[in-house]
Formats: sequence, C-alpha cells, structure tokens
Amino acid sequence: MNIIEIKGLKKDYPLGDTIVPALRGVDLDVAEGDFMSIIGPSGSGKTTLLNVIGCIDSATAGAVRVGERDITALTDRQITEIRLNKIGFIFQTFNLIPVLDVIENIEFPLLLMKSSAAEARGRADKLIEEVGLREYAAHRPAELSGGQRQRVAIARALVTNPDIVLADEPTANLDSVTGASILELMRRMNELEKTTFIFSTHDANVLKYARRIVKIKDGLIEKEPAPA
Amino acid sequence: MNLILTIAWRNILRHKGKSLVIGVILFTGAFLMTVGNGVISGMAAGIEKNIIDGFMGDLVLISDAQKSDNILLPMMGASIEPVTAYREIKGILAAQPYVKRFLPVGKNLAMVLDESTTAPGYAYLLGADFGEYRKMFPDNFTVLEGSYPAPGERALLVPTFARDEFYDFYNIWFLPAGGRVVKENLKKEALANFPTLNLSTSVVMMGMTSGLNTTNDIRFPVTGINRYGALNQIFGHFCLVDIESYRECLGYFTAADMAAQVPREEKKLLELEGSDLDSMFGGEEMIVSTAKKAPKLKAEAPKEAKLAGDGVYNAVFIKLNEGEDYGKALKELNKALAGKGVRAVTWNKASGPIGGMALIIKGALFLFVMLLFCVAVIIIVNTLTMAALERAPEIGMMRAIGAQKTFIAGMFLGETAVLSAVFGGLGVLAGIAAVKIIPLLKINTKNDMLQLLYGGNFFNPLLSLPDIALTALQLLFVTVVAALYPMRVAVNITPLDAVSRD
Repeated sequence: MNIIEIKGLKKDYPLGDTIVPALRGVDLDVAEGDFMSIIGPSGSGKTTLLNVIGCIDSATAGAVRVGERDITALTDRQITEIRLNKIGFIFQTFNLIPVLDVIENIEFPLLLMKSSAAEARGRADKLIEEVGLREYAAHRPAELSGGQRQRVAIARALVTNPDIVLADEPTANLDSVTGASILELMRRMNELEKTTFIFSTHDANVLKYARRIVKIKDGLIEKEPAPA
Repeated sequence: MNLILTIAWRNILRHKGKSLVIGVILFTGAFLMTVGNGVISGMAAGIEKNIIDGFMGDLVLISDAQKSDNILLPMMGASIEPVTAYREIKGILAAQPYVKRFLPVGKNLAMVLDESTTAPGYAYLLGADFGEYRKMFPDNFTVLEGSYPAPGERALLVPTFARDEFYDFYNIWFLPAGGRVVKENLKKEALANFPTLNLSTSVVMMGMTSGLNTTNDIRFPVTGINRYGALNQIFGHFCLVDIESYRECLGYFTAADMAAQVPREEKKLLELEGSDLDSMFGGEEMIVSTAKKAPKLKAEAPKEAKLAGDGVYNAVFIKLNEGEDYGKALKELNKALAGKGVRAVTWNKASGPIGGMALIIKGALFLFVMLLFCVAVIIIVNTLTMAALERAPEIGMMRAIGAQKTFIAGMFLGETAVLSAVFGGLGVLAGIAAVKIIPLLKINTKNDMLQLLYGGNFFNPLLSLPDIALTALQLLFVTVVAALYPMRVAVNITPLDAVSRD
C-alpha cells in the first residue's frame, strides 16, 4: 500500500523576474515501510521534493497525497497537524532546541500533541535507550557531538510514531563512520518501528543502506537504480 | 503551559545580557510606579486629613446662588455668595445624627490698603467665632506671636505665610499689638533689613464682593501671628478674623444689625425717595478715603453678636462622625436642606484645585511612568524581535515538527511575561518595601512646598490595593504590547526558513 502518491508535481521559485523550476512534473509512489533514498546532484530538486512531501513547502501544481489526504489544499493549521502526527523530520544540522536537554528534546513533539508528561517521558525513555544515549539524557545539545545530536534528532523524529520520517542529507555534517552508524540506526528503526524512511543524499556510500533509490535530476525523476 | 514557561525561562537565562537590560527597565518602572503611587496616595490622604481635620471639615454648606463649588481658592478671587438663612439651617444640621460638629464662617477676599503704595494687595479673610472655631479645629495652628483671641473678641490672626506675602508686597512686617519682633520668625529678606524694618500692628482691609456695593474699609488690629500645623502654604492665605468684623468689612448684616430696632425717624429716612439722597452722603466724615482714616473697631463686639444664629455667613463647615458614609450623608443632608437656599458639597469639591491636586499629580506620575514604559516597550520589542530573527532556525524547526503558530506566540508572550513577572514583581515588592520603610524614618518638614508634597508635616506614603493593582495592570499592558510585534515576526517564520538556513 502506498503511503505517498505524487502526480505531476511541479514547484517553481520566483527569482526576481525569473521563475526557476525546481520540480518539473514528478510522479512518485512510496510504499508503507519503505527505506528509500533520493539521490541527485546539488540543485537537482531532492530537498524541494522532500519539503513538499513533508508539508514544509507547497506545490505549484500537481497532486500530493500523504496517507489519506491531499496536502495541496489544506490550511496552515491542518498542515501543521499532519507534520506533527504523520511526519518526523531529521535535519542536516540536527536543529535541536538548545535550551532543552536530550530527553526534553525527544519528548517535545509529544508535548505538542498534548500527551501527558508521564506518557511523553515514558516514550522518550524508550527511544533514548534505542538510540544509545541514556547517559546523556540530561545533557544539552551543545554538550553533544554531531553524531549524538543526530541520534537525538532521530529519536525525536520517531517519538510520535509517525507514518513517515524524512531526512534531508542526515549524514552531510558527519564523518563517514558516524554517518554510517546513523544510517544503521535509521535502518534498524525502520525495521523496528515499521516507519517509512525517505532520505536524500548525494553521497554514494550512503546508497548501500537504501532498499529503494530514486534519482532526480533537473527536477525530474530519471530512473530508479537498483539498490547496492 | 509548563513547556512554554520552561522554554521561556531557559531562554531568558540563555540570553542573560538582553534579559537583564529588559529586566532592569521593568524593575525601575514598576518600582517608580509603586513608590510614586505610594507617595501620591500618602499625599492625597494627608491633604484629605489636614483639610478635613484642620480647615473645612468633611462637608461644606454653600449658597445655592454660589455658581462654583470651589470656595477655598476660587478663580480670580471670585466672591463667595452669602448664606443668609443660617438660623434655620442650624437647627436642621443639629438634628442630623451623622453630623458631629459644624461651624458657620465668612470667607471672602479683602483688599489690603496701605498709604505707602497705590497698588492694593489682597488677602483672604476667614470670619468665625473664635470660640466655636477652637472647638471645631482645636489643634490646627499655633499662635507664634501674640495670643489666641477670646470668644467674641475683635481680632485678626495673620498667618506667617500671609505675613511673608505682605512683607514682599508692602515691605511692612506685621506684629501683634504690644509685641516685639521675633528674629527667628523673620523671613530671610526681612532679617537682612532688620534695622530698617517697617513695622505695623494693624492693617486696613476692604471687603470685596461682586454683588454688593456696601463694603467698608476697616482697620484691623493684628492680635496674633499664627502658623498652621500642616499645609501652611495653602491655609496660610487665610487671615482669621472675628465674624462680626468680617461682616462689617464685607458690608453684610451683622448680628448687631439683626438685633437692632430701627428708630421711627431712621425708618422715615430709609423710606425717603428723590434727588436729595445725594446730600445725605456729601459729608467728608462719611467716607474713608485713605487707610489712615479707617475707623477703629470697637474693642468688643456688641452683645448681640453672640447670637450665633444671626447675621450673614458664606459657608458652614461640617464634620461628620467617624466612619460615616460621605455619599449617604451628603445625600441625606441635601434632602434635609431642600428649599433652604443652600447645598452641601464635599470637602474636595469645596477645596477646588487643592482637593484635586493629588489626582493631577497622580495623572502626571502615571504619564511619566507610561513614558518610561513606552521606552521599555521599544527596547523590549527591539530585543525580542532580534531574538526572534536570530532564532529563526529553531522556531522554523519547531514549526516543522508540528508546533502551531499559537505555541510560538505563547512562547514569546511567555518570555515577556516571565521577565515582567520576575523583574516587575521584584520592582513592585521593592516599592512596597520602600513605602513601608519610609514612614518608619519619620521624615518631617516645616518647608511649605514639601508639606504640599507630603500632604502634611510627615512624609507618610501609603499604598492601597488599587495602587498595586494599577501597577500590575500597567505591567500587563507593557508585557502584551511589547510581545505583540516580536510574536508576529516569530509566528511568520515558516518551517522552510529552518530548512533553507540548514
């Protein structure tokens, strides 16, 4: 069953008087529980595609269905609810809340969902265990390494049991060993939590972790090379 | 809410420098407002107490013909309309259970005449029976020179403030008859001119009224120099004079006039009509053209003057029993006096700008603190807006992972609210402490201007709950206004802002 269905997606960005097309008509279906990588050179449109799927950016044309809903015609409040309830994000630069410690960062989305403090802490405790940061629970992000921060970001992305986790170049700011461990962790979480993972990269070493690879170039999906 | 406040508090600690700048402004504003309100409330209470206990009582009866309720210091010294029905009024006042004591008085402006200058000066006269006055206001002034007049005695008490004014205007230093110059009581300029001081033990005054053309020049012997215990700057305008002399000066019916039986021949004269009337007033001895010729008053008032119900007054000062409801007493009194040609007004209306002075100063202080708060708002808005822009990735990320705009708005409002609550709260507490400590220092003054500010002799600021509530409301207003624009900036940060800066 497809959790994401994209038909004829176009995204243009105005740049002064010029319109720059970032996506020129993308068709893509993503199956539930997939572990998919979007690859392509810089400026190919992979981040834009992830942003539109993640309801962070809007489409200029085309249809995007996430779960049961077409996200192209929703209000800001509805879109935000989808982001909170259906999607988890892992950013390139981790983007943790600096004033909250590790455990608080992880439980933050649950508190936004109005879960009880005890429930949120219980779920966060489980995930901090799974990402191997139990002893850092009371640390602030500034006290962690890049790899540790990304682990926190992964735990935070998964804490709400989202249908989809989107990761935009999650290993770009990490050394190769830490990057590999992060991808291992994501893959393990994909298997453990049955969550759909879509991550973008232009690092060929990352591709071996993907079960499905989508190549994008000049705003169009070229072909799907076989996973390594 | 806990989450918002946690983030807000930690962000404040994270940006200590900015928080401290905002906090100091909020602390200063709250402190100034609290102490200022305390000072003004103390001043208002002091003025109220001193006017009620020391000058005019709780309520004042004035003539219905009197246009303005302000009889203490009316505009341009406008004359106060006479109250002619005191005999009837007296009985009604005595029958009211809420009335503790009352005192009929004459109160008007008099022209002070002196042969040494062509320009006349002015003084307010307060005419009363000295015995009754003493009972009504037992301790409101001390006689520094001379003596307190006996009941029924023809007398004039000149307050130190008025004496200083007379000196400035006429270069005359007034003394009680038979008195000597007390150097300690001389004003600085008079002391400098001590060897050549122009002394006088009497003063010629001519009553001033707008409706009557029957006022007289009267030479008053100065019998004493007094100083009001509080608010001498205000009360010191009023020379206290016996009521019969006052009436003669103002050309009012005296008690003696009321008691007199007019002989048949004089009645005939009064009935005369025709051109010969002018000749009746042709004799030089009938006119007092200079102060020198002003007739001296008799040493004692006629016995009839002791008929307290007779004669004309300008007002009746009324003291109410302790704890009486002003509004209720005023309403009932006006009802009881209906048709008697008088109306009762409260002391603060009767004292005009003096009664309203505390309110005016309170308004000025309010504006000053609001100005301070405006500066605070600008600084806070600027600081929080910069903070919002600096934190765009963090805010964008919060939005990306599902924080609604209301959460972001709440976070910014929370930060400002925590700052206001902590620093503003400390400012209010410090202000309350200061207001509690100041009276313990027993700061007192004899300086007239400071007495006005203190509302009496002692600097005794006090705070009421409404004063504290007002400060809290102002802080709340500042918080909300200061948070509005940064909130708007913050909620307009999109998840894309976080990603695009990534």
